[in-house]
Amino acid sequence: MRRLLDRRPWIVTLLSITAVIAAWAIATETGAVSDLLLPTPGELWSGAADLVVNGYKGYSLGAHIGLSLMRVAVGFGIGTIIGTLLGLLMGMSPTIDALAAPYIEFLRPLPQLAYLVLLIIWFGIGETPKIVLLFLAALPVSAVAARDGVRNVSPQRVQAAQSLGASRLQIFRHVVLPSALGEIFIGARLSIGIVYATLIAAEMIAGASGIGWLILDAGRFLRSDYVIAGILLIAAMGMGLDRGLLLAQRRIVHWAGK
Amino acid sequence: MTETPPLSRRGVIAGATGLALAAAIPRARAAARTINIGYFVETKPTMIAKAQGWFEGAAKAKINWVEMGSGAQINAGMVGGSLDMGIGIGSSPAAAGLSQGIPYKVVAMLDNIGPAEEMTVRASEHITQPSDFIGKKIATPFGSTSHFRLIGFLKTNHLSLSQVTVLDLPPEQIVAAWKRGDIDAAYVWSPAKAELLADGGAVYKTYDKLDAEGYVIADLFVARNAFAHANPEAVAGILGAYGRALDMYKTQPDQAAAIVGKAAGVSAAVAAANLAEYDFVPLKTQLTAQWLGTPGHPGAFAAELEHTAQFLVGQKSIRKARPLTAYQKGIDTSYLEKAVA
Repeated sequence: MRRLLDRRPWIVTLLSITAVIAAWAIATETGAVSDLLLPTPGELWSGAADLVVNGYKGYSLGAHIGLSLMRVAVGFGIGTIIGTLLGLLMGMSPTIDALAAPYIEFLRPLPQLAYLVLLIIWFGIGETPKIVLLFLAALPVSAVAARDGVRNVSPQRVQAAQSLGASRLQIFRHVVLPSALGEIFIGARLSIGIVYATLIAAEMIAGASGIGWLILDAGRFLRSDYVIAGILLIAAMGMGLDRGLLLAQRRIVHWAGK
Repeated sequence: MTETPPLSRRGVIAGATGLALAAAIPRARAAARTINIGYFVETKPTMIAKAQGWFEGAAKAKINWVEMGSGAQINAGMVGGSLDMGIGIGSSPAAAGLSQGIPYKVVAMLDNIGPAEEMTVRASEHITQPSDFIGKKIATPFGSTSHFRLIGFLKTNHLSLSQVTVLDLPPEQIVAAWKRGDIDAAYVWSPAKAELLADGGAVYKTYDKLDAEGYVIADLFVARNAFAHANPEAVAGILGAYGRALDMYKTQPDQAAAIVGKAAGVSAAVAAANLAEYDFVPLKTQLTAQWLGTPGHPGAFAAELEHTAQFLVGQKSIRKARPLTAYQKGIDTSYLEKAVA
């Protein structure tokens, strides 16, 4: 038995999920927990089915998902690309590092809600402030990851390449970038987590669409069935995004950790 | 007041944290040494009674004042038992709460909102009739009494949500969006409303027709059932203290405005202007058939709650409305009767 479980960990996962669902069903169906706090599995199912069939307040569920993913993709994409480029430059050149570091260090720990209203004043209430918010969440994390990736390249390897007569560009392309890629990807996965966590804040801006807004709006009236359906969905989407990045990392940086 | 208080910071993640709050806060003990009251910082006579300590005196108990971000948070606090009373909850969240079986009752009205929440349009847009709203952007805080009125306005004028863009913004963001020119109109309350009017806004009157068509909105006192049953004198005392504040506002409006302004953090002049927008229905008048009625003789307001609930079902905000009798039972005027006796 022991050995079977060790070899098939998914059985343990399955058992754990079944146990949680069973406990939830018993607690809600017997009325021990009010359905205002937690819907029964049946209510959650019909709430979720209703979202799938009828959508939510003007948009189909697919449109809510699509809009959220679009915001995440654009904000994360631009933020990570610019952040990584900036980080690489910062890692290569102490001058650029000294120039940009204060802003990155300022932005990184800043809670996004702190400047939410400013973004509305500056960028209005359309898609721009939402995407800028996600961009600002992604930028510092990927910049720091790329900079540290460059700094952690072993000096011996750089010196070896130099002694073989490699130019600065060649060293960057063939030594520094491949060595730093591992950390860049770790930074990207960190950053998508932060961007994703910021999504709800972004969709608070004059929302009427997106999964984050759906959860917020349903919560206003204690619609726990919609809220939990939305949470399950947003979690699944987040896991999907993270898996996607992990897959890309394994393909592109297949040598990392070997 | 409504979904969000006019003066305090907006209740940011109202809904999501609301649920968390409901689940997380342990149940308060039944016998009340300390009464937990959820309230809004707003320019209303309740602030007189609060500032002068009349509520504590009349309830003969300590009061733990918890500032709320929205009516939804009061509902959440009531579910978890962490609040004993709520002051200033809008009729929309209260109708939602009663429909969802939150164990509380409406025990009195704070005010009939009337023209205090109203449509403001950009004067330069020349909006003079309902069809002029086609293609325009209107902002309102979703889930609020203003939102209810706005949707009522669109519905009664056969404007669909594909013809008009309705945006969900809290009051201070409405002001920001207005200043940038991102929105053409807003349905909101003061001070946001006053700021729009001062910045090229004009009143587009909707409330009189909407009130006649069953879109009456009000701010209410609610009390959790278990608490009210165990402490009827405290509930009546708190309502009595509000009555005393209303009397002071009637007889000494300048002094009242000064106290309200100080408590809410605005000038006496601003407080006086805000106060003047609301219809503070005297407690005795609330006990008539037009409003809450008396025990055994429910008034017309129960039908407003029912209508609001049906609207919320149509909005997918709540699962189902209940029959009129449920809302009549959801209003308990016995404490109010005791308070005015």
